[in-house]
Amino acid sequence: MKNKIYAVGITAFVLIWFALAGFSWFGPKQDVSLSERRKLEQAPELSIQTILAKDVKDDDGNIVERNSFMSKFELFTLDQFPLRDQFRQVKSIFQFYVMQQKDNNDIYITGDYAAELLYPMDTLQVEVNSSVMQKIYDKYLKGRANTYVAIVPDKGYYLAQQNGYLSLDYRELFDKIEDGVKDVDQEGKNKIQYIDLTDSLDAGSYYYTDTHWRQEKIVPVAQKLAEAMGTTVQPESAYTKELVENPFYGVYYGFAALPMDPEQMYLMHSDVLDGCIIKNPETGAAIPLYDMAKAESNDLYDIFFSGNQPLIQIENPKATGNKELVVFSDSFGRSLVPLLTQGYRKITVVDLRLTSYLNLDHKLFLRRPDVLFLYSTISLNGAIAR
Amino acid sequence: MVFSSIPFLYYFLPAVIISYFLMSWLVSGAVRLFGGSERTGHKASIFTKNLILLLFSLLFYGWGEPVYVFLMIGTILMFWGCGIAIGASKTQGMRLFWLIVSIVVSLGLLAYFKYTNFFIDNFIKITGMSIPLLNVIMPIGISFYTFQCLSYTIDVYRGNVKVQKNPMYFGTYVALFPQLIAGPIVRYIDVEREINDRQHSMEMFRLGVRRFMVGLGKKILITNNIALLINAFRDAVGISQGSVLFYWMYALSFTLSIYFDFSGYSDMAIGMGKMFGFNFIENFDHPYMSKSIAEFWRRWHMSLGFWFRDYVYIPLGGNRVSKSRWVFNTLVVWLLTGMWHGANWTFILWGLLYAVCLLIEKFVPAIKKLPAALRHFYTFFLVMLGFVLFNAKDMGQAGSDIACMFGFGNLPFVNDVTLYYLRSFGVLLIVAIIGATPLLKNTANRLAESPRWATPVAILECLFLVVLLLICTGFLVDGSFSPFYYNNF
Repeated sequence: MKNKIYAVGITAFVLIWFALAGFSWFGPKQDVSLSERRKLEQAPELSIQTILAKDVKDDDGNIVERNSFMSKFELFTLDQFPLRDQFRQVKSIFQFYVMQQKDNNDIYITGDYAAELLYPMDTLQVEVNSSVMQKIYDKYLKGRANTYVAIVPDKGYYLAQQNGYLSLDYRELFDKIEDGVKDVDQEGKNKIQYIDLTDSLDAGSYYYTDTHWRQEKIVPVAQKLAEAMGTTVQPESAYTKELVENPFYGVYYGFAALPMDPEQMYLMHSDVLDGCIIKNPETGAAIPLYDMAKAESNDLYDIFFSGNQPLIQIENPKATGNKELVVFSDSFGRSLVPLLTQGYRKITVVDLRLTSYLNLDHKLFLRRPDVLFLYSTISLNGAIAR
Repeated sequence: MVFSSIPFLYYFLPAVIISYFLMSWLVSGAVRLFGGSERTGHKASIFTKNLILLLFSLLFYGWGEPVYVFLMIGTILMFWGCGIAIGASKTQGMRLFWLIVSIVVSLGLLAYFKYTNFFIDNFIKITGMSIPLLNVIMPIGISFYTFQCLSYTIDVYRGNVKVQKNPMYFGTYVALFPQLIAGPIVRYIDVEREINDRQHSMEMFRLGVRRFMVGLGKKILITNNIALLINAFRDAVGISQGSVLFYWMYALSFTLSIYFDFSGYSDMAIGMGKMFGFNFIENFDHPYMSKSIAEFWRRWHMSLGFWFRDYVYIPLGGNRVSKSRWVFNTLVVWLLTGMWHGANWTFILWGLLYAVCLLIEKFVPAIKKLPAALRHFYTFFLVMLGFVLFNAKDMGQAGSDIACMFGFGNLPFVNDVTLYYLRSFGVLLIVAIIGATPLLKNTANRLAESPRWATPVAILECLFLVVLLLICTGFLVDGSFSPFYYNNF
């Protein structure tokens, strides 16, 4: 009996193993991974040159540049493995629930939230980023603009330490930026004003499965910024919320590879917002406030201004004055800036990852605008400019 | 290509298995169809099997470094030729001559590829002269296959094995991919019969699959995950977030990791050997259960220990010599053992550390009278310290690591970072500690032998292997983080 069981068992094992192998060899290949939001490696070219090509490796022997057929083939087999997302989920479930590891690929789950383990602080990068902001201030803004800095805490600020996860020292990061971006007058006062957003947000202000904050939850942030910059914003009651019908699977959903429910995304509408004229100031091409075509894509957050743009200009015909605002921001700004429109005739949003800060148009700063540096802790611990 | 990878598991190995059995069946069938005898058909089948294994083994080897396939082929032909020459020599002097040729060539290859930069670097440090390093790239597995080739020529010289007249059969032995890059060090005498003739059975194949999967599980689920902890430790130390406890966690982690890594690879090698009809020698026998250093080395990397015993220690006289000569023999063997592991003073010191421990155990018989628990503790403690030395990138780091373990690094005993990783990897470390003992294996064997539990155990075993395959595949698909410590040998 035992021998029969073993015979059946080994046969079944080999059939499953070889079936997966067969699908790997001959199954259909995918172009992109929706869950990971990236292109998947395709079959590499096989030739004498590619076989003999050398990969570039770092000091630890890790491949940093794949040139050989063999290393490209290995990546291809990983990317094109059948049921790839499902197998990644198996791994995540095993790692989280069986091995009880606290994070998987630097993503942790606490309550309903998936968050990124933002640790440790990349001190050098934070200093580089503060020097970029200082250079922009020195070159374009000094004496010509009212300058403000606001740091968007990532959701880890509200979740990590409270739930026993590692996080960078946020206070230290805030202090480094404040010390690194300044223009001290004769009285010793910093002409650049820092706006603390930490008490205007909480964990509920963010999507469960994505990095970003929910637009419908950040009106208090807009109010705080407006108050600091001496302007006004529409109250929450002035807005109506539009539900995006497609379910929203945030970026961490793919990274964590865990079974999680999708979320709902809401877009804010008001008479001021809906009357704005939005375009790329360099090309003149119109940019939609909410690009509903992106609702079909794998990143619903790209609905805001159709994704990351190097420059966005928002003109508000219903503005009460002639104030202008220039916002240097990462993707967090895309959902927040529309909420600031009431107080400004014109808002220009600059993404330094897509345009060089060395060659900004001086005309942006001709009319003594308010200038806001609005970056998340995630960006400040990475790179805010190319 | 490493065993624990998608290309190997789902492309290479299935292709070899299909080709191996299908081609040999077709060939033996064709021979019989054309009037050949059963015996001729069987011989043709063995020939085909060896040829398939050799070709795939060369492909496997060339996958890592295509150019070095020619070195492998050259080495095979050289040692095969030496074996032929030794066998054909009419005088003892000529036999010895060809043996010496094989020793000089193999050790020369090893010295050039593995130790050139080490010697040049140390020469520069001693003399202050400026000499450019050659930056020689070490062929994968050279430490293993040169020793295997040497074992052949030495055993031919001693008359322990017959000369292998078929270069393709000899090449199959040398290049056999299951044990080519990470052992066990399979001596020709152990596989001579099977190279020339071997049998297969469903049961042997099943046991091979089971052994392979256990090794794969050790490597992917335990070793690779512990490696994340080790990396986190180094990152924490790099930003001054280390603690005394974290250093001890690191020491324990690496000690467990290297065992599961190496024994996992050996399990995969032995398992694949069985699939193809070979019975390779065991390489590990729960070494962390040892109650002395001497016992540890009878359980750890046994194939290396046997090799040095039979080809260095015994020819030097072993322990059947004066005390001073025995001390010398011991120091030589362990110096060489350390050097075999790598071209770094840390490995040499690691080897000599064991020599000193063995000498102390020999000359202080009172140690054997200590309680078993204490002996077990001191053995594991010394082994763990040894592995901290082994894994350090240089003597400076080794000294720093050991100093910090004992509180001389001006570090807190514990901090938040340490506690986070202890909570995160605690379950894994406990599983690894239990897995390093024979508890699971003995329990499974006892149940399997029991009439009441034999059937349920058989069913569970089959299910376990399938689930293990799927989980391991999940880990492989999710990333490519899969370092193998002994890949540098």
